[in-house]
Order: sequence, then structure tokens, then C-alpha cells
Amino acid sequence: MTSKLSSVFLAATLAFATLLAGCGKAPMEADLNLATAKAKSEQCVEPENVIRTKHMDLLMHKRDATVIEGIRTTQHSLKECINCHVSTTKQDGTPLHYGDKEHFCTTCHVAVGQKIDCFQCHADRPQIDQDPNYQHTVGSAAGHHFTQGVTAAAAPTVAEIKMVAQPQQGAAK
Amino acid sequence: MNQNRVYEYRRNFIMSLGGVAAVGVIGSGFVLQTASAAGEIAAKPADQPVTNAKRWGMLIDVTKLTDGGAAMVAACKQEHGWGDEMHSADAQKAHWSRVVKVTDKLTQNSFSLPVMCQHCEKPPCVDVCPTGASMKRADGIVQVNKHICIGCRYCMMACPYKARSFVHEPLQDQKPHSPRGMGTVESCNMCVHRIDEGRLPACVEAAPDAVIFGDLNDPNSAVSQAMKTVGGKQIRADLGLNTGVRYHGI
Ligand code: SF4
Ligand code: SF4
Repeated sequence: MTSKLSSVFLAATLAFATLLAGCGKAPMEADLNLATAKAKSEQCVEPENVIRTKHMDLLMHKRDATVIEGIRTTQHSLKECINCHVSTTKQDGTPLHYGDKEHFCTTCHVAVGQKIDCFQCHADRPQIDQDPNYQHTVGSAAGHHFTQGVTAAAAPTVAEIKMVAQPQQGAAK
Repeated sequence: MNQNRVYEYRRNFIMSLGGVAAVGVIGSGFVLQTASAAGEIAAKPADQPVTNAKRWGMLIDVTKLTDGGAAMVAACKQEHGWGDEMHSADAQKAHWSRVVKVTDKLTQNSFSLPVMCQHCEKPPCVDVCPTGASMKRADGIVQVNKHICIGCRYCMMACPYKARSFVHEPLQDQKPHSPRGMGTVESCNMCVHRIDEGRLPACVEAAPDAVIFGDLNDPNSAVSQAMKTVGGKQIRADLGLNTGVRYHGI
């Protein structure tokens, strides 16, 4: 009796697991909209591997400095991450929110199963009406990376401009 | 009526004379220059922490507010994006600042004034907070550090001015400079993001003739000088909280 019950249970579990594996397929890199992000990571405030592994610590440190001490530098500021990386609309022109798969932060957080609550309070996209030049294009003077001297910044190469300007594929599914 | 005309004339006259940007007239014939963004609240370098060298405060001349402060409240709403909560009952809606009408029962004399967080020197809201989220910055600005607020609402109960409100519903499209979200308490933060950049708070900008903003620690600041001359009343002064927001004409 017990063995029969357990085999039924096993079968059910197996079926459920198969189902899960079917729908929970992690998005492949090709599914994600990473072209712009990749181009921009070249001019990010930290090297890509540091950002990938430590961005939460950097943000955590920065948030206390900002709220408690009023330190409002652009380095490691969540607002600047968003200004630089997040587009204001989806491809069909509707507003882009954190819950959407194409949102810059979501692209990774979905893949690694991370549920964050930054965007319960923080704006999840730049406010383009307040700052039309919100998104730093490669080599633009608005980038915080060029505070050392805007004029000294290297002009973007033709290849870079092309990479940023190319239509973003595989985004909305 | 005529009196106002005279003031207007004087104002124009003075402006044409000295190129003074904004002039507030308090009391009879006493002329004050309001704190200008360029002069009095110099921008702090973005990488420097705030210090207690300054204590921010403002003096609101209620007699100059023809609308009782409605424009100031509207400017606050616009700046921080509160007040449009869709699913909250009226009593639950955010109120960073509100127009309060006061009537003397005996004489029926009545007037309105804008009431927001009074930025108490000894804030009861900070005393009761179990997590340290309700906090006073070194420069006297009282605010909620929403990162560590657990939404217990003790501070709302402790505040004698009913200055705080609680967000009851999920929000979207907040202003990038003013994060606010469900489950946390919020209140006037004196437009801390503007002050750190050397700009005036939104409500002060909306009522330049009625409000003087500046450093209460500096005896020569316009706001200190104005208070020295005309006094600056606290609401519920009996509580001894030494508020940073003072009123004239109440
Ligand atoms: S007015 Fe209320 S919220 Fe503001 S500092 Fe005083 S007690 Fe705190
Ligand atoms: S609601 Fe938040 S800020 Fe207010 S007392 Fe509780 S934890 Fe502190």
C-alpha cells in the first residue's frame, strides 16, 4: 500500500518537475536585449565583472551615504544606472517597467531568480521629460565617466555608433 | 486693497532701483530680501557630507498667502508626485503638506496656513522609531530613511502636527529624485534633493513673496533677520520642539 502510494507520488513529482523545466527555461543570451548594455558597459563606472558581482554592495553603501549624509555623486547611484541603461519605452512604444522582460535590470534578475524591491519605491525608468538627454550615448558629454574632461574623451568609433544604433533584437516576447 | 497697491509700487520701485530679485515685505514698511538660490543656500559639493554648521528653516508669512498656501501645497505635490493614489480612501491619502483652516470660536476670525513637517529640533517621530528610519539629518532636516522603515507607523502617532502619512498601495512611475513606495511612511523632507544642489524647496519657490528660507544658525541670514524683527511663531510652541518652520501672522 505504502509503496503504491509512493510510486504514484513519485510519478506526480516527476510530471510536475518536467512541467517546471518546460516553462522555467532560463532566457538565453540571444533572447535578451543586451546590445546597448554591452556597448555601454565599456564606459561603466566599474569594470563589468565588478558590476556583475558587487553592484548590490555598491548600491547599498551609496544609498546610506545619500540618504543620511546627503552625498549625491553620480558614481554608484541607482538613478544613474537607470539613466544610462534603461530605455523609457518598449519597442511598441508603451512605457517600460521593471516587470517587463526587456528592462535592463530584469534581464539578469530573471535569469538568476532574483526578486528585488528597489523599484517598489524608485523610478524604474528615466524621466525623459525632465532630461531629454537622459541616456548617455557612447561618447556623449552627459556621461559621468567624462567628468575629468569632456573634450578629452575619445570620440566614438563608427563601429561603436553602429552597435548602439542597431535595432534591438529578441526583446519583447 | 490700497495698502497692497502701495506695496506693489514699492516692490517695483525697489526692483528697478537695485535689481533685487525678490523682495518680501513683512510688518509695516519692513523690507526684506528673500534668500536667493544663488546667495544663501550655496550648493554643497556633491561628495561632501552635510554638517551641523547650518540648520535649514523657513518663515512663512501667512498674511501674504492669499490662497492660504494652496499654491505651496500644489508645488509640493508636483515636485514629489504624491496625492494621486488611486485606491486609497481619502483618510489614507498622502499629505506631505496641507492647508489647515483655523477659526477663532469667539470672534469667528479665521485664516488658513500650510502645514507640513515642522522639522523639529527635538523630533518626537525620531524618538519613537524602532529602526532608526525616522531620522534627523545633521543640517536639521527630518525625513524617513525608507530603506529601513518597517511601516510600523509609530512616528505618525508621535507627530503632534499630523505631518506624516503612509503609502497604502503599490505605486509606479515615481519621480527619480523622490522615491516613495508602499509600506513606508513619508513626510515633507524640505526638498532635500534640491537643498543639496543649492536650490530652494519647491513650496518656497511657489510663494517667493511669502516665504523666507535659509540658515537658522546664521544670525545674518535673511530668515534669522526676519525672525529677529517680526518674530516667528511655532505652532504648538508649548511642546518646546523648536521647530524649523515658523509662521508670521498666526
Ligand atoms: S513635525 Fe512631526 S514629522 Fe516633522 S519633525 Fe516634528 S514630529 Fe517629526
Ligand atoms: S513607520 Fe518607519 S519611520 Fe515610522 S516609526 Fe516605524 S519604522 Fe520608523
